Amino acid sequence: MRRAVWLALIAVAVLASPLRAEEKRDFFKIGVVTELSGDLATGGNVTKRGYDLWAEAVNKTGGIAIGGKKYQVKLYYADAQSNPSQGAAAAERLITQEKVDFILGPYSSGVTIAVAPVVEKYKVPMITGSAESPLIWKQKFLYTFGTIPPVNFTGAAAIQTLVGLSPAPRTAVIFGSNDTFSKATAEAFDGAAKKAGIKVLKFNIVPAGQDLTPLMSAVKVLNPDIVAFGGHDEELIKLVKSLRQIDFTPKALLMHYGVTEPAFVDALKKDANQTFGGAVWTATEKTKGKILWKDAPTYAATAMKAFNVPADYTQAGSSAAGIAFQVALEKIKATPPVSEAKRAELVKELEKVDVETFYGRVKFATEGDFYHSNVGLNPLTIQIQNGRVVVVGPKTNAEMKAQYPMTPWSKR
Amino acid sequence: MELLPQALVDGIMLGAIYIIIAIAFSLVYGVMHVIDFAVGEWIMLGAFGGYYLFQWTRIEPLLLLPAVFVVFAAIGYPLQPLIHRVLSGRRGNPLLMGLVFTFGLSLMFRGLAQTFFGFYSLSIPSRFSNGSFFFQNGGLSVTISSVRLTGLVYALVITGILNYLLKHTDFGLGVRALAQNRDAAGLMGVNNKRTSAYVYAIYVGISAMTGVLIGMILSLSAKMGPDYTTFAFFVVVLAGMGYLAGVPAAAFLLGIIQSFFLIYLDPGYTLLAVFVLLYTILLVSPRGLFGKGV
Repeated sequence: MRRAVWLALIAVAVLASPLRAEEKRDFFKIGVVTELSGDLATGGNVTKRGYDLWAEAVNKTGGIAIGGKKYQVKLYYADAQSNPSQGAAAAERLITQEKVDFILGPYSSGVTIAVAPVVEKYKVPMITGSAESPLIWKQKFLYTFGTIPPVNFTGAAAIQTLVGLSPAPRTAVIFGSNDTFSKATAEAFDGAAKKAGIKVLKFNIVPAGQDLTPLMSAVKVLNPDIVAFGGHDEELIKLVKSLRQIDFTPKALLMHYGVTEPAFVDALKKDANQTFGGAVWTATEKTKGKILWKDAPTYAATAMKAFNVPADYTQAGSSAAGIAFQVALEKIKATPPVSEAKRAELVKELEKVDVETFYGRVKFATEGDFYHSNVGLNPLTIQIQNGRVVVVGPKTNAEMKAQYPMTPWSKR
Repeated sequence: MELLPQALVDGIMLGAIYIIIAIAFSLVYGVMHVIDFAVGEWIMLGAFGGYYLFQWTRIEPLLLLPAVFVVFAAIGYPLQPLIHRVLSGRRGNPLLMGLVFTFGLSLMFRGLAQTFFGFYSLSIPSRFSNGSFFFQNGGLSVTISSVRLTGLVYALVITGILNYLLKHTDFGLGVRALAQNRDAAGLMGVNNKRTSAYVYAIYVGISAMTGVLIGMILSLSAKMGPDYTTFAFFVVVLAGMGYLAGVPAAAFLLGIIQSFFLIYLDPGYTLLAVFVLLYTILLVSPRGLFGKGV
């Protein structure tokens, strides 16, 4: 009998709880699904810094202005644990239990591809500030957007810069780690190299995280002008060390994301110098922002002050994802909690967004293979020079002349 | 053909890394019958220990190895009684209990490392990291990295020391007796608890030194552990669980297979080849390559 009374009391308490009531709030609940632990935690935490910085900046101004009133934003994090299925489960939990208004998306393409069908199912808009695989956009998810252009758009530009150097590279060895982003990067390098008339001597997709020294020994015998690799932070460091250890210096060493991470230079010191990479934003870019930060250097200074780590394009892209939501919400005058009908309207408004930010232009494609990816930016070729990231291409954006061919390891 | 000597040398160098990852792991299984899933995390913690010790002292990391061994052995020694407690008493299935306990330890260490050391990848600078030796004879040539050669020498020295310790000292006699029959060894005067604690301390110390070497040869990060646990497990199963003398051969075989796959065949199938080899060996000889595992 006593047990029954207790159970009844608990049931009454649960039913009467404010959680069960129709939710009323004066702030936006924003879910964030990203890789806070596991193999991709480095990149995941870079996106976190970008999202946090945006939320802090927007709240400092009072919040998102809707019809004369300002609404603060609160971020609700869910760790994807660098695992696509965990990412999908985390997104579902944020949507069904936390009842978030919209989502800021994962760092990696693999997790983004797993999360996209979930947000599609629940009709909750998501903008990823990082994922770069073209596979995401080819599937034409209505509710998924991205602020960083796909890697086949940015990777090709780096090859074009290399082709313009003297003596022009004629041969390349290209390989990528076996994950969604890295494979797409290697394929982008491969396609662009062939298009530019560079002979690709070897193309391989390799298991993630492996010691590639034996493969580099084979590459040394082929003696290509370019070694191009699609991979993530730790893999890039291991690769440079392998090349150093077998004493093979190609004319150009090309990578993509990860080169701009401070850890790359910290771990490799002078061996990081002269490595090429692809990017869409640097801290010195001449951008003119209308919202929150007036240009790239201002954003970079704020980020440095907040985290004591230089901002890279993934962090900037993540902050820009927040700005895109902010612009669209203000336009449709959506107040929290955002209803399903308003969320559909938000998607339509995001498709119309065309705004200049500290990060550059944000304009999502509404058709074609880049559907809902940001096509407002110019891809940049960067190079590490004296431990700093500098833009070396295209010519219109170049800050410095590319250092080419690479100085042999033994003479550094 | 041109690449054959290089493929062999690279395979041996890879194998040397696998020896240092697996040898102490095999010892601890042989004596304590614990499959320590935290081996990768001990390697990771050792790597960070070496990194910060280097940052502090600026002494060549190779010279810091004894200090790293002492510090980590001192950490490992008091942990063994905890593992012993998990494995003994009225709990059923001690092997499974050991697995679960060390798996928990590995998760805890990884989480703590991410919190305290951050999520960036690092590298331990060493004067040995930059050099290499180049040999050429006719159309054949070989490049040997000095830091990998150091790894090979370290692997052989550690194997030699462990071999001497086990076969030519009273402590080793006690360890071998414990591995064969715990009760009989106890009746002959071998102190089970103390000997096991020493073995666990040696294992943690060697794993930590291995981490420093891996940080010099490759890289280090808070998330590096599981990769090395997997390879330690591969080598030990291939050698025969607990059969220490089989570890070098198994490690070199694994390294050479990987190297040949990476150079001559499709690098994408390297891990598949390793799995197939492991599966086949287990099917044909469940007690490892030499049929002497537990």
